[in-house]
Amino acid sequence: MIIFDHVSKMYDPNIMGLEDVNVHIERGEFAFLVGHSGSGKSTFIRLLLKEFEPTEGTITVAGRNLQRMRRGTVPYHRRNIGCVFQDFKLLSNKTVADNVAYALRVTGQPERTIRRKVPEILQLVGLGEKMYNIPDELSAGEQQRVSVARAFVNHPSLLIADEPTGNLDPDTSVGIMQLLYRINRTGTTVVMATHDREMVDKMRKRVIALENGKVIRDEDKGLYR
Amino acid sequence: MQARFFFSEAISSLVKNWVMSVAAIVTVLVSMFILGLGTILFFNFQNAFSDLRNSLRVEVFMKNTASPEKIQELGQEIEAMPEVRDVEFISKEDALNKLRESLEGHEDLLEAISGNPLPPSYVITLRDPDSIDLVATRFFDNPLVDNSPGTHDGVKYAKETSEKVLSVTTYFFIGGTGFVVLLILASILLISNTIRLSIFARRREVEIMRLVGATNWFIRWPFIMEGVMTGMAGAAAAVALILLANNFLIESVVSKMPFFFKTGTVPLFWIVLIVILGGTLLGSGGSGLALRRFLKI
Repeated sequence: MIIFDHVSKMYDPNIMGLEDVNVHIERGEFAFLVGHSGSGKSTFIRLLLKEFEPTEGTITVAGRNLQRMRRGTVPYHRRNIGCVFQDFKLLSNKTVADNVAYALRVTGQPERTIRRKVPEILQLVGLGEKMYNIPDELSAGEQQRVSVARAFVNHPSLLIADEPTGNLDPDTSVGIMQLLYRINRTGTTVVMATHDREMVDKMRKRVIALENGKVIRDEDKGLYR
Repeated sequence: MQARFFFSEAISSLVKNWVMSVAAIVTVLVSMFILGLGTILFFNFQNAFSDLRNSLRVEVFMKNTASPEKIQELGQEIEAMPEVRDVEFISKEDALNKLRESLEGHEDLLEAISGNPLPPSYVITLRDPDSIDLVATRFFDNPLVDNSPGTHDGVKYAKETSEKVLSVTTYFFIGGTGFVVLLILASILLISNTIRLSIFARRREVEIMRLVGATNWFIRWPFIMEGVMTGMAGAAAAVALILLANNFLIESVVSKMPFFFKTGTVPLFWIVLIVILGGTLLGSGGSGLALRRFLKI
């Protein structure tokens, strides 16, 4: 699903984002990306989204070489990737349903499909009752569920979560993790960058540890450490 | 469906940044108004000037001593010149009659004059006003012409008038064009700034659009529409003002100075079309500028 082949990313001549990273994540895998702030987790994710180019090496996502991808096809590449962020990135002036529908609307899906898919996915994340509330009326955990719903409504083959539980209390975090786990069980590859030691240790999934832009550890059923 | 989405996004953006939108609309309005009004004035002046230029004539005064045969010969010569459209002979008597007419009510002045001192003359109308110099100089050294020694005061022609008319038209045109160009620049920059603010106000939406894979054009369209609508709103207001101004101001000037302005010569339809198209272009130009500089996709 994801192949990083000798990937380096230099921001400035002196600032190293990633250095010679070799990672192979299989389709349907669940992988944690752990490391301190500035260790390169965000660079890893932004490279996956093709927000910028690596300085060296090649990245392949779902069989497609990102370096050879034309600028015009990048949006279609992103439709295949769902994203969840620490700060939710919801539109505060739109209802929960409209926030989820927005992802479908801007990709040009017909209104009929939107009316069918949105309630469906909101039921799935347990927010069927709050479709017409605005994000500010929801708890942080619920807002993150909306964000997960939006990321998954297109049924992407890859879901990226950048510290999705960073702003949540432990109990709420468990709820979000369960949601991500369920999404993973449907065959979606999940890559989650996190600081949440407890969660990583509990899940016993693959752990890729980064430090100063290098992969220092990559083990199956790993621990945070 | 998508068009409706773009439209509603653009409208909500316009309303949200209404102060900047109004500023941009007013600038477009002013620049397009001046452009339109300038064009109307330009047409009017052009008509008036071409009338004036066409009425430029050369008057050649004969010596009182010249024999009628020689004078007639000269008349035939003048008529044969290719630049001449029409030539009229004013005899001594005609000249006196004309003077008498113009002195109506003060005929007693003429009694002071013994006999008729007025010289006979030819009044030459030209085909092309630009050839006025060429034709006039031909008479400078003619022995029949009543030139005082060393001058050409026997030949009267509106050299200066013709040059003034030409230079006034040119200055008017250059000045007006420069002014409109400046205003157009100001409008483009203001629209671009409006769009920049709305890009900033909607950076979160833009970010989310990018993340969920909206195409670049999908992201751009609402902003382009916002710019175009700003331009069109300004242009529409300008059209209303131009028509109003044309009806009240210019028409009243025309009716007071019919010798200078002619009505019905201004292609209003085209001016309206140009103003609307101009406003739309300003709008798309402004948003294009802002998108290039500020929208990172």
